[in-house]
Amino acid sequence: MANSPAAASHEHHIVPTSTYFGTLIALIVLMVITVAVAQFQIPDIGPLTGTVLNQLVALIIAGIKAFLVVTIFMGVKWQTPLTKLWAVTGFVWFTLMFIIMGDYLTRKYEPLASWRPNQETALPRTIHGGTPMPMVDPNEANLHPRE
Amino acid sequence: MAGAHAEPLAHGHDHGHDEALHHQFEDIGQQNESYLVGMWTFLVTEVMFFGALFFTYTLYRLNYQYDFWVAHEHLDWKLGAFNTTVLLFSSFTMVMAVQSAQLKKRSHVMRYLEITVACAFIFLGVKYVEYSSKFADHLYPGISFSTDPKVFGEHGFVNGVPMVNMNHAQLFYGLYFGMTGLHAVHIIVGIGVLTALWRLWKNHAKSVTVDYVPTELVGLYWHFVDLVWIFLFPLMYLMPTPH
Repeated sequence: MANSPAAASHEHHIVPTSTYFGTLIALIVLMVITVAVAQFQIPDIGPLTGTVLNQLVALIIAGIKAFLVVTIFMGVKWQTPLTKLWAVTGFVWFTLMFIIMGDYLTRKYEPLASWRPNQETALPRTIHGGTPMPMVDPNEANLHPRE
Repeated sequence: MAGAHAEPLAHGHDHGHDEALHHQFEDIGQQNESYLVGMWTFLVTEVMFFGALFFTYTLYRLNYQYDFWVAHEHLDWKLGAFNTTVLLFSSFTMVMAVQSAQLKKRSHVMRYLEITVACAFIFLGVKYVEYSSKFADHLYPGISFSTDPKVFGEHGFVNGVPMVNMNHAQLFYGLYFGMTGLHAVHIIVGIGVLTALWRLWKNHAKSVTVDYVPTELVGLYWHFVDLVWIFLFPLMYLMPTPH
């Protein structure tokens, strides 16, 4: 066991300060880009609206920032394969979880009657008898500004 | 492997790490890897913890896009950007503390940990200012949540027509306080852990000075807190105008 991969990593890599400082500068520049893009209305491109594109750009930049933090600041780049596997596991799980979204997006589910738009108060609700409140399909509601 | 079995009590290295090596581990490399994998396992559970909240946010944001956008206009992105910079900088000082621990520069480690904790307090101070303005306008979820769309200024109420469903706005603020609040709890825990680590270094405790990995583990936690904020900032503060 003395020459296991873990033993090989014993000579821990000391990363120069310039690498860390460069990463910090890169992270701050990326943050400034995110803020700048958010102030700017991206035009629609094909089926993607500018709103979606804006959000995609923000999330891609956040992803790059996260990658820099995980690889350099958290030092995964210089870790053993087992540690790398563990680091990747969390993000794989996170991605898999979003498959559940497929269920929500393809199913019409009932919102609370009291949650219809433009309503001043949540009460009174009619559950037993009386005139039922108009139901609003959450998949249709609120996607566009109301008149 | 030749000869390794013949000397079960010899650790097969002489790098001055013997003090740090616990008897259940073969060598310092195996011990450090075990510690790091243990910490990463904890961080994976944290990803699951926050992940469910990010999923909830995504689902309701998709359903109530316009209301979420109006509600988010009450947040000040300048304060959010300032806090992001503070956290990114604190991540840098934390990683420098770890590097100093590798080089066994005790005074440097302590100085960098002090700056990191100072950044954490600045972050919480800004959060206090932000939360206060939400409390003042009754934008915290609950029975007294504001029913007046005027609280969102020009975007909430146009030509006598309410432009936002306050129930959906309340859902946004539930998620806002839930997610940033949980993140703030992690910052507070981080302050405690960083302070404990600083005290150990101050007292020349062998548990942290003979090997850098304990400092590295605290660093991993602190970078994770930074990581969560990297996603919270654009999602909460930088919503594009729906059109």
